[in-house]
Amino acid sequence: MAADVLLADRVELVESVDAATPRPAGAWAALLRRPTFTVPAAVIVWWVVVAIAWRWLGLDPFGDTGTKLAPPSPEHWFGTDRIGRDVFARVLAGAESALLIGPLGTFVATLLGTALGLVAGYRRGWVDQLFMRTFDVFLALPTLIFLLVIVGAFGSSPLVLAAAIGVLFAPGIARIIRAEVLVEMGKDYVTSARVQGERARWILARELLPNVWPQVAVQAALSIGGAVFVASSLSFLGLAAAPPSPDWGLAVNENRAYLQGAWWTLVFPTLAIASLVVSVNLVADNLKEVLRG
Amino acid sequence: MTAGPRLESGPRLGRGPAVLSVRHRGIARLIGQRAVQIPAVLLVVSVLVFWLIQVVPGDPGRNALGQYATAAQVQEWNAAHGLDGGIVERYLSWLGGFVTGQWGTSLVYGEPVAALVLGRLGNSVLLGLYAFAILVPLAIGVGAWQARREGSRTDRAVTVGLMSLASVPEFVVGVLLLIVFALVFPVLPIQSGDAVGTGFFPQVRAMTLPAVTLALGYVSVLARMTRTGVVEATGSQFYRTAVIKGLHGGALFRRHVARNALIPTISLIGVYLGARLGGSAVVETLFGYPGLGELLVTATQKKDVFILAAGVMVTGLISLCALLVTDITFTIVDPRVRFTEGE
Repeated sequence: MAADVLLADRVELVESVDAATPRPAGAWAALLRRPTFTVPAAVIVWWVVVAIAWRWLGLDPFGDTGTKLAPPSPEHWFGTDRIGRDVFARVLAGAESALLIGPLGTFVATLLGTALGLVAGYRRGWVDQLFMRTFDVFLALPTLIFLLVIVGAFGSSPLVLAAAIGVLFAPGIARIIRAEVLVEMGKDYVTSARVQGERARWILARELLPNVWPQVAVQAALSIGGAVFVASSLSFLGLAAAPPSPDWGLAVNENRAYLQGAWWTLVFPTLAIASLVVSVNLVADNLKEVLRG
Repeated sequence: MTAGPRLESGPRLGRGPAVLSVRHRGIARLIGQRAVQIPAVLLVVSVLVFWLIQVVPGDPGRNALGQYATAAQVQEWNAAHGLDGGIVERYLSWLGGFVTGQWGTSLVYGEPVAALVLGRLGNSVLLGLYAFAILVPLAIGVGAWQARREGSRTDRAVTVGLMSLASVPEFVVGVLLLIVFALVFPVLPIQSGDAVGTGFFPQVRAMTLPAVTLALGYVSVLARMTRTGVVEATGSQFYRTAVIKGLHGGALFRRHVARNALIPTISLIGVYLGARLGGSAVVETLFGYPGLGELLVTATQKKDVFILAAGVMVTGLISLCALLVTDITFTIVDPRVRFTEGE
């Protein structure tokens, strides 16, 4: 009986070690076989292309077409809004601001969060405690409330918003990277690097970072969804983009009053946000599953 | 604040009345710890908030009086509202006022901030509780249902659908609901601002759409946790033993499935409750509901620093208390959980 249990333990151990072997090339192949990855990825590529290329497509998101609140028709696929602007042109042009602040903020958050997480996990002791207690303060308040204060204080230029989102999302990333680093610190390669007398900066950048890298990628992907969510919420509240920007969140806010009369001014920007955010989250989830094995 | 819940696999605790007293001592210690931590965190938040608000571009007196007021009038107005003097001085006088309940007068509404903020907070709490009354049974029901069909196509479809609902901003779900209820199925009012104080039923009717919007975003995670919990509990040895022992129906579910499956769910409910009770700026703005979130958005737009500062402090206090209540619930439901300082 006891021998059976031991054998079972050993078999399980072998299996789990086998499954944990990372194979980057295989990971991409596995991703491309999943429709829940490829379809959202295509949607994201579409919006990125549109965000850059709408200028050269002959669209005019600001001009008056002459007919106000026209329903969708062959000339105006998504209809026109209250001052006669073409909704289709505005939805396409709005991709630009949606894809500006969120990803930029995520970039800041990933840099900052990874650096803080690496240092906290490596130094431990009082540095770690100081960082963690500071993060608690950020995590104590709802994200949007903190952003309100920052917007109130520093205004709402894209750079301020990206920096604010970066600062707000960094603690979450830092915590996870720190936990990962704490696990890595127990492994032999870190000890031998230290015994060799490598400098801390070198160990952090060349030994630890490559080993927590998949986790960094996953956290960045997960954060983009949240950052786009928060950025479009702010513009919906009228605290980010200002008229006549074709920003999607702003469009929803401006056209709320036309809910019953002209649903097309409201539905298309809403669906655009939904398609982008859902796609980003699906891609991030798939990345997480594949990269973590 | 971050003392993580820990599962102890050390020496077994006894059973009977002795366990209860140990557990109560744990709760008392927890409360004692937080009684120090919560004010400390709030103090840091207050310094941060006050500093941020003081760098607001533009003079509050100038903003309030308009561009035609003379410099002397602006200065006089600032002095009357306690907005002159050094930043440390202003911070201390504001903090002193905040602790004693003197939250100042709103620069925009001209009313006492305390009455405004607390009144709006009451509305937000009502909305949050209503949303929870919808959310908790819905999420637990969906999660348990998914667990029974674990691995099937519907199970996966529901998971992806709920995740999509959770990942889009609240106003997306809200707008889609509004369109359905404004154009297709006009049985519920689409604006809820006027309904506050018109009696119980009209108000509940008016609050239904915002409450559903709030609830839908959180179904995903709660349902997923319940699903995992139920799948684990029904796959366990103790469940098999209980079935073999002849237990079935309510007792089996309550004692062996629910108690184990709901532990992770409860922790999340508490955190969400804290976030929700502080008001949702987006949902309240979309439906025109007079809650705290909407007030804070207006205060930000109009640079009403006193409302903003007090509102942020109140929201922070609520979130921290919700975390505390969650942890207490945790220790009561799961006697294995102990809280230790630090990580």
